[in-house]
Amino acid sequence: MTRLIRSMIAAAVLATSLGSAKAHPTLSDASALSLLPVAVSVAAPVMILSAGAALTVVAVEASAAGTVWVLERASDGVQASVTLAGGLSVAAGTAVVVTAFSTGWVLSAAGQAVAFIPNEIGRALLHNERVTR
Amino acid sequence: MAAAALAFGVTLAHAGRSCEPKLPTATNVQRAMTLAERTAASLNASGAQVVVLGRIGQDLSKYGQRYSHLGFAYRDGAVWRVAHKLNHCGRAHAAVYRQGLGEFFLDDLHRFEAGVVVLAPAVQARLLPVLQDNARLARLHTPAYSMVAYPWAETYQQSNQWAIETLAMSQEPAATTRERAQAWLKLQGYEPATLRLTAFTRLGARMTAANVAFDDHPNHKRFSDRIETVTVDSVFVWLQRSGLGAAPHVIH
Repeated sequence: MTRLIRSMIAAAVLATSLGSAKAHPTLSDASALSLLPVAVSVAAPVMILSAGAALTVVAVEASAAGTVWVLERASDGVQASVTLAGGLSVAAGTAVVVTAFSTGWVLSAAGQAVAFIPNEIGRALLHNERVTR
Repeated sequence: MAAAALAFGVTLAHAGRSCEPKLPTATNVQRAMTLAERTAASLNASGAQVVVLGRIGQDLSKYGQRYSHLGFAYRDGAVWRVAHKLNHCGRAHAAVYRQGLGEFFLDDLHRFEAGVVVLAPAVQARLLPVLQDNARLARLHTPAYSMVAYPWAETYQQSNQWAIETLAMSQEPAATTRERAQAWLKLQGYEPATLRLTAFTRLGARMTAANVAFDDHPNHKRFSDRIETVTVDSVFVWLQRSGLGAAPHVIH
C-alpha cells in the first residue's frame, strides 16, 4: 500500500485545517485564527475528483508529509490518494462526496467539509505563514 | 466523522470554552474560496499594490459596525498575500500571520463580503516594504491580546490596532514604538469606535473569555459604559477622511 501511495502522489498540495474560533458572542471576533488548513495533497488520478463523485476513504496512514488517505470511487473501484498536512484525519470507511468548483474540490461527509483540494487557482490563493511567535 | 471533526479542531482545541472547533460546510468552503478568487481579481484590476481588506466574521450591527477584522493585502508577484494578526482561539495572546486570500476568508464568515480600501499611492509605497519584512511586521506587535483593547494604551493589542500602529510605523520613521505610533495616529486624526457595553456585559465577557479585558481602559470611560477600541469601520472612515486611502468598496 505504501508503494502504491508513493507512486500515486503526483503533486504536493498544502494542507490546512479548517477550524474556527469564535470568541464571546456579544463581542467582535476581531480575529479568530482559522486553521483551515485545508489543503492537502493529491495524488492521483485526479479524474476521480469529479463533481458529485461518491468516494470512500479506504485507508488512512501517517506519512512523513502528513496523513495519507486512499480514496476509492464507489462506481468502479478506482483509487487515488490525497496527503493532508497536519493532523487532519478521518476514519477508514468514511464515505465522502466531491464538490467541484473554480478553485478546487471539497470532500465532505454529511455536508461537513473534511478536506479541500485546491487546483492551480486555489493554490495561488492559499498560503499560511506565522510571522511572530 | 467524529474523527474528522476532532482533527479539524485539534490545533486550537485547548483554547477553552470560547473555542469550539467546528467543521465548515462544503458550501461555506466554496463560498469563501470564491470570495477569495473574486477579491484577487478585483485587486488585480485595481492597479493597487497594497490595500486594507476587511471581513465580516460576526454580526456586529448592534454595535454599529459592519466588519470585524482587517488585514493588509499586498501584491507579491502574481499573487496576493494578507498580513494580519490573529487571536488563537479565544486565548489571551495572538500572533502575526501572512496568509493567502483563501485563508483570510476561510473563517466561518457571517457574510461572504469583503471591504477594500485602496491606500494612497505614497502610503502604499511606504507600507509595502514593511509587509514584506517579517522583522518589521513584528516590531510593534504585542502578544497580549484583548479583543476590546484600548487604542491609547499598550497593555494589550488587538488585531486591528496592530495593523494601524504598523501603518503608522511605516509612514513615520520616528514611530518606532507603540507609544509613538499612537501619537502619530492621533495627529492624523484617527478616532476609535465607541462601543456601549454595560457593566453586566463587561463582566460576562471578562468571566467567560480569556481574550477580553477592560483593565486598560480609563476608569471614567469604562464606568460610563463607553469602551473605545479600534474597529475596521472606524479605520475605513478615518482613512478616507484623512486622505490616506480611498472610499471603501465592497466585493461580494
